[in-house]
Amino acid sequence: MALIQHRFDALRTHLATLETGEHNGRITVSPKNTEEVAALTRYASEQKLTIEILGAGTKREMGHAADADILLYMTKLAGVVAHSWQDLTATVSAGTPWVTMQRALAQHHQYVALDPLWPETATVGGIIATNDSGALRLKYGSLRDLIIGMTIVLADGTIAKSGGKVVKNVAGYDLHKLMTGAFGTLGVITEVNFRLHPLPAETRIWTATSSAAEPLGDLMMMVLDSQLSTQAMQLRAHINGYALDVQLATLPEVLTLQGERLNDLAQHASSKTNGTFEVSQTSDPKVFTAREDLFTEAGVVIKATMLPSSIALLSSEAVQLGGTAVTQATGIMFARFNEDTAAAAISALQASIRATGDGSLTVLRSAHTAGSPWGDIAADPLTREIKRQFDPHHILNPGRFLGGI
Amino acid sequence: MLNSAVLNELRAALGPDGPSLPSGLITATNQLQTYECDGLTNMRALPSAVVLPRTAEQVQAIVRICDQHRIPFVARGAGTGLSGGALPAQGGIVISFARMNRILEIDIPNQRVVVEPGVVNAHVTDAVAAHGYFYAPDPSSQTVCTIGGNVAENAGGAHCLKYGFTTTHVLAMDVVLPNGELVTFGSSAPDAPGYDLTGVFVGSEGTLGVATKITLRIVKRPETVQVLLAAFDSTTAAAQSVSDIIAAGMLPAALEMMDRLSARASEAAVHPNYPVCEALLLVELDGPEAEVKAQMAEATDLCRKNGAWEVRLAQTAQERGLIWKGRKAAFAAMGRISPNYIVQDGVIPRTALPEVLTAMSRMAAEVQLRIANVFHAGDGNLHPMVLYDQAIPGQEEIALDLSYRILYLCVDHGGSITGEHGVGKEKQQAMGYMFSEPDLDTMQLVRRAFDPHNLANPDKLFPRTRLCGEKPGPYTPHPLETAGVAEFF
Repeated sequence: MALIQHRFDALRTHLATLETGEHNGRITVSPKNTEEVAALTRYASEQKLTIEILGAGTKREMGHAADADILLYMTKLAGVVAHSWQDLTATVSAGTPWVTMQRALAQHHQYVALDPLWPETATVGGIIATNDSGALRLKYGSLRDLIIGMTIVLADGTIAKSGGKVVKNVAGYDLHKLMTGAFGTLGVITEVNFRLHPLPAETRIWTATSSAAEPLGDLMMMVLDSQLSTQAMQLRAHINGYALDVQLATLPEVLTLQGERLNDLAQHASSKTNGTFEVSQTSDPKVFTAREDLFTEAGVVIKATMLPSSIALLSSEAVQLGGTAVTQATGIMFARFNEDTAAAAISALQASIRATGDGSLTVLRSAHTAGSPWGDIAADPLTREIKRQFDPHHILNPGRFLGGI
Repeated sequence: MLNSAVLNELRAALGPDGPSLPSGLITATNQLQTYECDGLTNMRALPSAVVLPRTAEQVQAIVRICDQHRIPFVARGAGTGLSGGALPAQGGIVISFARMNRILEIDIPNQRVVVEPGVVNAHVTDAVAAHGYFYAPDPSSQTVCTIGGNVAENAGGAHCLKYGFTTTHVLAMDVVLPNGELVTFGSSAPDAPGYDLTGVFVGSEGTLGVATKITLRIVKRPETVQVLLAAFDSTTAAAQSVSDIIAAGMLPAALEMMDRLSARASEAAVHPNYPVCEALLLVELDGPEAEVKAQMAEATDLCRKNGAWEVRLAQTAQERGLIWKGRKAAFAAMGRISPNYIVQDGVIPRTALPEVLTAMSRMAAEVQLRIANVFHAGDGNLHPMVLYDQAIPGQEEIALDLSYRILYLCVDHGGSITGEHGVGKEKQQAMGYMFSEPDLDTMQLVRRAFDPHNLANPDKLFPRTRLCGEKPGPYTPHPLETAGVAEFF
């Protein structure tokens, strides 16, 4: 404790203008701008103090726990810095809650076309660091396709920018792509430039339900192969049955036509099954937050990725293994299993993913401390070398990433 | 030059030549000359050797030899790049992918195609067209340029406004790292755990290694495509129409603009029957028929509101093809109106277009040169072509200087020095204008992790170290170099 107090006093002396505090015996720092973040990492680097970077902390349990000397709270770096609505771009501070950003952009009927987990609280920086994405990814792509520039602070206090404020730009390495999904192990994201999309004129959601996954999987593949204006699609799998949600987005008059075509496809899919099969239109947009519901109950939550053609098969397998799953049509499954059966379910699902082709499985939440959230995925020499170049003393989110990086 | 022992090693790495197979190793000077430049023809360097591997294992063996002997190497597809990205390194070897041109796998249900890097861009679409799919990135050279080169440059094209760039469509890659190790980045399924090395590699201009296999995403063909041609009395009026179309919530498949000079050159070259006007706007909308019809009516109104005096909707696929033929021929057509020209590739925020065009006209008038303009107006990507006559002493230097000043103008307006052609050799000094030293130093961390000995396409992309008193802009020998007092190494 004396050591911590000593370090805390030293840090306060050196960074007198920074807002600091203490939490559970750790030093907390809440910088208000990029320069303050840089001053902190530079000092920490010199003193070999480790830093855990936190937004709202909604995904703090994903990855290994980072045991660090300093908690770096990013929430004071908040706000939409610039919204060039005529250019469909915006610059946003990393600590901004996602929904705050979207509300500001909506004033000009625009948005960042991504639907992450817990948008009310999760911050822009945290969503990027964990490379979260929702069902909208089917139409608009992932963060890789939506981020056009970034300001980052390296472990040694260097402030670097990559990309820019224009959508089309191939000058230099895309450091922002390296930072996306790096769990804060390569640098601190302080500001982000997004490309924006106009809010769709109108959207409608249809839900098809069945006692079996297979006909819904067939329908999903037919919709993927169609020319419908699909912006989001997911297959929900539960012991009580399966549901396929399809969201179309286009002009109101076109939606009516497309709804009829979707019904035709559904009829075709249902004719191939003996089980129940129903289609209805829903007005509840909450249906696409179904993956959040997986986290509301106790249990192990995993993320599995697969080819779209394997979604129905692996969904029904998840149910057979005692789980509940929501799988986006891009091939990203979120599933929950009971703590006591999770280990067996995970290894069975892992084997099936391998058998069906490409994919991976990571554990997003587990009460067990044993085992790695990154499963059996190790860090290759190149990944380790990149980490060594960016953060030679391993001060940023130490141990959080795969391979203990 | 490479000594005979190294040449023997390369020969062994390429395997024995079959009776009907020509050698995969080129060392004769007259044959090497084919590889001395890419589409940027005013920069040339003769490689020591050219190798034409057939497999990833052969590529790996070649790169290992390069690593062992510290020989720089440059990968080459079709050599259509416009920034000198495939310009050989002095004394280095060129790895040509001309023989690795197979489409390995087509998975229509999952919308994926696996190719070798030497596959021609348009051949990917040809292979999936019967199933109603296409490969979206469409650089103007798409009938000859290769996927490997597209990956290196993060190639775009007229349709990337809606469909995204090469990076949007690359899911996974096998890569030979500069130390000869063969690794896989990404996966066919989304979100392979780990750093997004695919994202970093695409667009790294051959400086991080060599791709040997690429998994691409293909896209379902839209139900309908419509193309509108609108003639305006000023580029400002055409630019306002572009802003209005975007502001109305439309995302056209393409929004292209040509000024009077470039339209005239295209007309002379391929006769697309363009109206004679100050600015031509080409609007392509695609999607569900009813949606396209409604949006095209709105786009037509917006063009008319901004003073378009002729608005022509292509009625047939043939008419549509002719309109595009004129646009795609714009660069090559410059020969009709000028003996020589330099193409640039700046990007600006769309809204800065009128201001930047006015400044460009002024800058051209000051040095008594003409500029023809072709833009991907929807995403603010300008292709100004500085016209000059090499036969007039000193004019090429003036034209080059003007073309670089245009790039700086783009940066000053919040834009970029390159939207799709890449930095390469041509614009490496301009990188120092766009990025600060800490930015560039941070990019070098990536470079060092991948290529610690600086062997993969060296001396490209990043500015050369400046000597005190050196002028910014294209590389010119420093007086100390000329005097033999100092040298770059």
